[in-house]
Amino acid sequence: MSDSFLSLFELAFVQRMFIAAFLASISCGIIGSFVVVKRIVFLSGGIAHTTFGGIGLAYFLQYTMGWIWLDPLLGALMFAVATAFIMSAPLVKDRLREDSTIGVLWVIGMALGVQFLQGVDRSVLVIQDPVSILFGNILLINARDVYIMVALVVAILILTFVLFKDLQILTFDEEFACISGINVSMLNLLMLLLVAFTTVVLIKVVGVVLVIAMLTIPAAISGLFTHHLKHMMILAVLIGVFTSFTGSLFSLYFNLPTGSTIVLVMGVLFIFSILSRPIISKMRSGPNPNI
Amino acid sequence: MPMVVKKMIEPAIDIKHVTVGYNADTVIEDITFKIDEGDFYGIIGPNGGGKSTLLKAILGLIPTRSGSIRIFGSSPKDARGFIGYVPQYAEFDKRFPISVWDVVLMGRRSVRGLYPFYSNEDKQQARRALKKVQMLDFKKRHISELSGGQRQRIYIARALVSNPRILLLDEPTASVDKEMQKTIYDFLTELNKSITIVLVTHDIGVLSSYVNRVSCLNRFLFTHDDDSVISKDMLEAAYQCPVDLIAHGVPHRVLDDHKKPSHDKNKGAVKK
Repeated sequence: MSDSFLSLFELAFVQRMFIAAFLASISCGIIGSFVVVKRIVFLSGGIAHTTFGGIGLAYFLQYTMGWIWLDPLLGALMFAVATAFIMSAPLVKDRLREDSTIGVLWVIGMALGVQFLQGVDRSVLVIQDPVSILFGNILLINARDVYIMVALVVAILILTFVLFKDLQILTFDEEFACISGINVSMLNLLMLLLVAFTTVVLIKVVGVVLVIAMLTIPAAISGLFTHHLKHMMILAVLIGVFTSFTGSLFSLYFNLPTGSTIVLVMGVLFIFSILSRPIISKMRSGPNPNI
Repeated sequence: MPMVVKKMIEPAIDIKHVTVGYNADTVIEDITFKIDEGDFYGIIGPNGGGKSTLLKAILGLIPTRSGSIRIFGSSPKDARGFIGYVPQYAEFDKRFPISVWDVVLMGRRSVRGLYPFYSNEDKQQARRALKKVQMLDFKKRHISELSGGQRQRIYIARALVSNPRILLLDEPTASVDKEMQKTIYDFLTELNKSITIVLVTHDIGVLSSYVNRVSCLNRFLFTHDDDSVISKDMLEAAYQCPVDLIAHGVPHRVLDDHKKPSHDKNKGAVKK
């Protein structure tokens, strides 16, 4: 490696990139494991995509109202949280088909984002390019983004730690959770809020569209090799750190788009894991016959 | 002390004129019956006859349209601490990353509440419940590494770990081989010495050898005046076809026969 490449690591934005990748890996490993075992990948995808509308709205309000303090990530958080609440509302849960509702919110969020961004005169307000919002640019993370991400990751860690016992029961057997005295509708809402927080943490790293990759791939790989939810989470965090760091380095070195490079590294590892799993299971003797 | 007096007077489960349905469908209609403490109560009936629905209503998982359900004098929601529930095992996701030990510990949630960790007492109770079902050696196994019968015993252990007064079982021996069926029913019979057991099944043959009281459910409840009896009329009413077609040679007093060791159990089995 050349000196000029190594000197990159002294730059603040490169350091922030690694901090962001680390924070993203923690949240996606923990919440991604819940998403995978509870099979709410599509729902999480919906929450992730509606954030595009929130980011658009934040820029639009910065432009029209002069609210420069309104960070796009806060707009994303607003939309993600609102989606979690809408999906948990009794009216929506009991009367509508869940996947249709997700689809509707998904596209409305995206369409709103396009409209809002269109409404910003970019000769007046410099905004992030829509492509990098959708597909991520980890190099564009500023200090305020990092603070928001840290706050969300801390919230995720505390809530998961305190409620792990109940979240495990809820994801394994919702009926039994209900009988055990768990407030199932509240806890399901909280689960979606955790997904919403995670989505916002991931947006800057891989972008709105690729959030679902970080949320599912590390946990899916980890799930192939472990039989305990806790172990699955820890391994998923490690896989997240490994793949996002490797992906970031590749993208820096070869000058590739970061978000998609990280996702591709994850994808390659996923395929490799599936192919190598029978061998590893045989070595450990005690295989889980089901993927 | 007042608890003891209450226990003597009140039936374990008291169901009066209960109707339950989903949307436009009525699944069970105007059902009235009592289960006393210490009973081994069997509810039989065809698939779709409302057996699982009745159990879920007793657990307060689905609301009743009319009528009342009392468990030791309390409403189903208040009585959840008294009840252990073993659902149909087919409903579980076998890929879920969880060990036998963690499944059984789950049963302590109703005792432990929101506190984030299980206590030493919880762990002791879990160990005891696993020992009771003879599965302690399997505690580190993943749930997918068990046979159907072993998994069923784990879910029984999960239900027992909170020390309930009533155990509800939904088709406990579905997808379990004949030998394991006998093991499970023998275990339940032993358990019945200290706990009220209610089970629903469509398998008359197995049921009749173990339970002490029985009724038939197919939207309406059919009982004999002497409810330790499965009568031909009851079965015909519940299954809505001549009994000979569904249960060749069911003796009139099936339940009395189980005391005789020579009784051929297969005689009463429902053949479809």
